[in-house]
Amino acid sequence: MPRLALHTRIIVLFLLITISGLVLLNMVFQAKQDEIHGAIGRMELSERLRSIRHYNAEDSLKAGEIMREYDAAKALLNISLGNSRVVTSVVLFLVIIASSLIFIVSIIRISKPLRELKHATDQIRQGNYSVHLPETGISEMRELKNSFNVMSRELESTQTKLLLAEKEMIWKDLSRILAHEIKNPLTPIQLVIQRLQERLETDPGSITDILPESVSIITQEIENLRLLAQDFSNYAKASQPARELFNPALLIREIIKSYAQNYDIRLELAEDLQVFFDKTHFYQVITNILQNAIDASLDAKPITIKMYGERSYVVICVQDQGVGIESKDLARIFEPYFSMKTKGTGLGLALVKKLCDANNAIVRVKSKAGEGSEFTLIIEDTAS
Amino acid sequence: MFEGIGAKLFSSVVSLSLLLFSSFQGNDPRFTSVTVQKTGSYVYLSGSLHSAFENDFPSIFSSGAQIPVHFALSVRQGSKTLAQRRFTHSVSFDTVTGTYEVYKSGGAQSFQSDKVEEIIAEVARFRFGIPYQPSWGEVNIRIEASLPKVNFRELNKEVDLMVLWKHQKPSTKVVVDLRKAQ
Repeated sequence: MPRLALHTRIIVLFLLITISGLVLLNMVFQAKQDEIHGAIGRMELSERLRSIRHYNAEDSLKAGEIMREYDAAKALLNISLGNSRVVTSVVLFLVIIASSLIFIVSIIRISKPLRELKHATDQIRQGNYSVHLPETGISEMRELKNSFNVMSRELESTQTKLLLAEKEMIWKDLSRILAHEIKNPLTPIQLVIQRLQERLETDPGSITDILPESVSIITQEIENLRLLAQDFSNYAKASQPARELFNPALLIREIIKSYAQNYDIRLELAEDLQVFFDKTHFYQVITNILQNAIDASLDAKPITIKMYGERSYVVICVQDQGVGIESKDLARIFEPYFSMKTKGTGLGLALVKKLCDANNAIVRVKSKAGEGSEFTLIIEDTAS
Repeated sequence: MFEGIGAKLFSSVVSLSLLLFSSFQGNDPRFTSVTVQKTGSYVYLSGSLHSAFENDFPSIFSSGAQIPVHFALSVRQGSKTLAQRRFTHSVSFDTVTGTYEVYKSGGAQSFQSDKVEEIIAEVARFRFGIPYQPSWGEVNIRIEASLPKVNFRELNKEVDLMVLWKHQKPSTKVVVDLRKAQ
């Protein structure tokens, strides 16, 4: 049975006390009326008068009048008693019905706006700040609804301002990063061009000596710009996952191939596992985490990739012994455009998080500044 | 129609209230042994009112005031009223001699007794005749009893006797095919 609200309990208690009191009063009243009714029934004045011998006509006449008045009064008393009992019962019945109706109507009038308020609060909790309540009902409820409406309007306005501010901040951050990342390759290109111009003015014959190196630098920096554009593009258009079952060990080995010659990457992979993940997304996730580990690892310290099964999941850990992450930065590393590196867009780990979410996988990080980091992926091993 | 519904609602409320909250007995009248007879050009309805005059009525009958009991008889065919009649039984009492008298308007009969039980039985018993047309065929014959307001002259007070019937008018309906009835 649902627990009654305080106001309901108070009203029920009040009704019970009132109605019990009235019923008790009625019982006493009825008992007293029963006594009177019995007493009237036992009064046999007319019978006694009738049995008295009257000596003259005048006495008989007087006795007759007394008897008639007495009998009429007795009958009237009986009827009046009956009438008062009927009226009392009907009034009591109507009072109980009316009280119960008033109680039910009051409960409805009190609880309906409260239900509306609860529903509206749920809406607010879900982020719908445009919800407004009709300011109807009893005055206290109107005031409460009015306060709620004022609050929701303020919340809506604050949310709009926050969104604008957040958008502006994102654009500022993005502009700053873009400007910085574009400026980085432009500077060497500009320097190479200036060098070529100087050589052309001072010693045009020897320009061919520096031309291959200059072209190489320009090509490299243009490639950097292309990679930068690709990073942004990848993050922006992370597509809907086309999940499938495949052996992740094979794909990890394939990814490692291009890094193995330059870096010390150690593998501890269980070979017979399968994951349910978008293959392209998996490639992007592993590449980004691995690149992150390489960037953090100074002095060519080894990077370890472990993979094992645990219940219905496959766990992949990428451990490095690099610079690690300060605890204050740990919470932000998956935010877009957040980067601790001098190079980079801050989109790599954000993309990892986004792709893991899209594939129902979990990505976690443990790190200690100066000791290294460990990124853990937890992926479902079946389509279920 | 609304008057009828209102009266029924009121009597239901009174019955329920008395049942729940009162020790008042009153009377619960109802028609019993109602029969229809056809004699000549008249159709007769006879029977009696049961449990109508037991409680409180002995003292009312012996009050000296004339106590009438009304009977309303109607003959209907579908929604059409073919005939209506009102009959009255009235009880009076001679205080000095202690004699009761019942007068029945239907047959202009009179009955006297000094025993209230006999008077109660007589006033409850009825036989009403109503002329009929041979073309009537199957009809509904409805009878309803009621008590009027009575003025006690000695005390100059008018009271509604229906309270003794808990504001319920007893009624009954008989469906009869007058072409076949004996």
